[in-house]
Formats: sequence, C-alpha cells, structure tokens
Amino acid sequence: MILLTYLLLSGLTTGSLYALIALGIVVVNKSTGVINFAHGELFMFSGLLAWTLHVQLGVSYLPSLAIAVVLGFALGVATNLIAFRPIKNADVVSLVLATIGLAFVVRGAARVIWGGKGDYLSFPPITSPDPISFGEIMVIPQQIAVLAGAIVIMLVFAAFFRLTRAGKMMQAAADNAKASKLVGIRVDRIYMLSFGTGAAIAAAAAVLMAPLTLLYPDMGFSFFIKGFAAAVLGGLTSLPGAVLGGFCIGVIEALAGGYINSSFMEVSAFIVIMFVLVVRPTGLLGLKGMRRI
Amino acid sequence: MLAIRHLKVSYGITQVLRDVTFDVPAGKVVALLGGNGSGKTTMLNTLSGLVRPSDGSIVFEGHECAGLSPDSIVRHGIAQVPQGREVWPSMSVQDNLELGAATRRDWAGIRSDMDEIYTMFPKLAEGRRRRAGSLSGGEQQMVAIARALMARPRCLLMDEPSAGLAPSIVGDMVDVILALNKRGLTILLVEQNIGVAAAVAEQAHILQGGEITFSGPAAGLVDNPEVLRSYLGR
Repeated sequence: MILLTYLLLSGLTTGSLYALIALGIVVVNKSTGVINFAHGELFMFSGLLAWTLHVQLGVSYLPSLAIAVVLGFALGVATNLIAFRPIKNADVVSLVLATIGLAFVVRGAARVIWGGKGDYLSFPPITSPDPISFGEIMVIPQQIAVLAGAIVIMLVFAAFFRLTRAGKMMQAAADNAKASKLVGIRVDRIYMLSFGTGAAIAAAAAVLMAPLTLLYPDMGFSFFIKGFAAAVLGGLTSLPGAVLGGFCIGVIEALAGGYINSSFMEVSAFIVIMFVLVVRPTGLLGLKGMRRI
Repeated sequence: MLAIRHLKVSYGITQVLRDVTFDVPAGKVVALLGGNGSGKTTMLNTLSGLVRPSDGSIVFEGHECAGLSPDSIVRHGIAQVPQGREVWPSMSVQDNLELGAATRRDWAGIRSDMDEIYTMFPKLAEGRRRRAGSLSGGEQQMVAIARALMARPRCLLMDEPSAGLAPSIVGDMVDVILALNKRGLTILLVEQNIGVAAAVAEQAHILQGGEITFSGPAAGLVDNPEVLRSYLGR
C-alpha cells in the first residue's frame, strides 16, 4: 500500500509535467493541424535558459521561471515563423520535416551553448530536500511543489483559453478557420500565438521539472515522446484529454517501473501510443474527425 | 455603393469568374442567382478577401478592396454570412457574437450592439449561454447573421441563407433580410431559391459559368421567361 501510494504520487507529479508538454502539443495541433516535432527541444532549451538565469546569473527561481516562459513564447513564435508560416500550405510531410529539422538545429545550438559543462546540469532544489511524513507515507516537498505548480499553470491556461478574447480566438480558429477569417480574425497571428503559447507552457513545465532531474541538451526528444503519448491518449485535439493523458502516462510509467521493471518506464509511453492507435485511434476525449498530423 | 468591375478569378487553370461587372447600390438588396458551380460562392469569397482575384476591381464606398485581406475587408464595412452557417459549434451563442466583433475595440459599443441584436433576435437572447451547435438550423442561421452584424457592416454578403431551412423558417429569414435592409444595410444576397430572391431584392443578376447572363428587376423574376430559360432551363 505504501509503495502504491508512493508510486501514484510520483506518477501524478511526473504526469502533471507530461500533461503540460501534451497541452503545448495539442494547442499547436488544434489550431494548425500539425504536430510540432521541435516541441521537446523548445522544452529543453527553455529549461537550460532557466538554468543559466538561476544557477549562473543568480536570478531567483520564480523570476527565472517567468523569464523562461517569456523566452519560451518567443521560441515558439520563432518556430512558427521559420518552420510553419513559410510552408503552411505545403503537404503534411513537409511540415513535419520542417519541425524535425528545426528540432535538430535547436538541439545543436543547445550543445554548443551548454555542452562541455559536464553535460548533465543540476538545478538546485526549490524546497527543503527533507521528506515530510503523512502517517507511514513519506512525501518529498519538491514533488508537491511541482504538482501544485503544474496545476496552477493548467488553471491559468484554462482561464486564458475560456475567458480571454485571444483564447476564444484561438478556439475559433481551431474550430473553423474560414469563419474566423470572415469575422476578421487574423488567423496567421492566431497560429503564431498558438505556437508561442504551446512553447510557453513547455517552458513552464521544463522549469518546474528542472529541480527534480538533470538538464542536458538531448533530453527534449524523450520528454516530447511522453507528452506526445499523453496527447495521443487524450485525443490530440482535446485540451482536457491532454491533461488526463498526461496524468495517465505518468501513473502508468510509475506503476510499470515499480511493479514490473524500471526498464519498462521508458517503453511504457510507446506501448500506450501503439495501444491507443490500435484500440481507440480518437483517444479518450478526441473527436471522431481526425485531421492531418 | 459596391461596384464590381471586370472581375476575374481563377483556381489554377480553371477560370471561375469571367469579367463579372455589376453594382450593389447603397441601401438596396441585390440578388445574385445561379446554379451549383456557377461561381456565386467564389464571388462572395472574393469580395470577402478569402480569394484573390486575378483581375478587375472591387470598389466599396470609394475604396479599392480587391486583394485586401479578410480582416481589412471587414474593417472597411463588408461582412459575410457564409453558406452553411459555419458557427463555432462548441462555443456559446454569446461567444460567437463576441467574436463577430473581432476587429473592434470599442467595448461599450460592442456591448450596446449585442443588446440591440438580442432585442432583434429574442430567441438568441434566451439561449445566449447555449452551445451554438445545439441550436436548430434556423437558430444557427440567426447566430451567423447576428455574428456578422457585430462587425457593424454597412454591406452584408449573404450566401444562401435559406438553404437547408424548413419552409416555415424561410419566411422568417425573408423578414429578417427585409428588416436589416430597412435599417439601411446594403445586402448582396446569393441564392438558389428564386422565390426568396424575388421577395427581398430589387435587382437581380444571374451568374452562369462565371458570367452574368441576366440583369434586371427582381420583382418579375419568377414569371420572366428569359430567367426561367437561362436559370431553370424551362
């Protein structure tokens, strides 16, 4: 029972981060119809930027997070301008290749900037490393902080999406681009905003995750796969589905690692993707009409 | 006044509109009739900036609008009620209307226009929190019209507003179009329903194969042998 509780808490914590990564993937896919394969690299780059701010320049944690989110947004906008807008009417293979190409460029740039410093960079803890006990269950405060932070970001994002004009315009452009153009919404700007928002959420996830793990330039793809699995599980176009998918992947991964073998942690996301594609291609909360990815 | 002169539109090597010229006088309702594939929707989409013309001009109130972006066209005072309604089904009626004012920043004016529109369409006021996708076809058409009105247009382009509606609702639609025109709105109505066009428009043009083949008063359309021959093939 104690092991199960620990695994569930650990799974929910990492799952909340996967949920944030998945949200970024879904936001872009929902409005533009394509998967940004550079999303993991934007996550990694933002985390390393926060490391530079916090560890090298001595900026405290919360301002580092805020600056990384702003820089992440800018990276997302740049992704739109470099890898999407110039070829937005091209076929899906070209769009996917463009984001994959950009992913390699970003990873290469990260290796140039942050490589050669031991490669695995550690982020100091933001809470006391001493565990807190709830009866027989020991909880690491860092996990609670990360989970709470991720939930706050999800709520802020949900409020932005439901209550602000820009958020509603993003929804409108995702639902029906033609109708959006006819009322005067500048859909190209909405695509840019979607890429920026998606990357900003990824940046927030990276900075939340940073104190729990090590940062390195090649980390992006593995986190992208986890987020992608969560997005696929949730239905690729559903924002609540992305959150649900993220938590499910995190818990599945933790339980697989705890009860089967730790090596299953890495492959569990791939197994989930395969399972969903075979059994329920629309995901848990996805729409029936699937679009290009 | 909306003046369309020698308008040509092509999709690749296929010419959809060939040298189309006609006027929509200020404050009038003009009908553009034609069968499937005649170029009616392309005409409206060109006027709305969704399609770029290969040649010709579109002058609205003295401003050249050909080739402008859709948001610029809306800012110039031309809004479209698209074919098939195209409301945002997962969003509330209220949100659909708010987004109709996407080009505006005068928040007080937007609120007052929304109140006025709810007075004009009481059913929408009652269902303002409902998802637009859950409304009937006629109510969705009202949402589409109300959404276009939120941009405060001076010219409204309506693409087959009677299509897919029950005959009893079509009568309501005719009343709405007449009421909007009475308020001073210039309307270019694209229709396949010749009866609706005759009921609301003063002038009618028939588009066939991308060309205007008939122009004349709308009142006698139903009995006009030239119209029946060219449009209905009788």
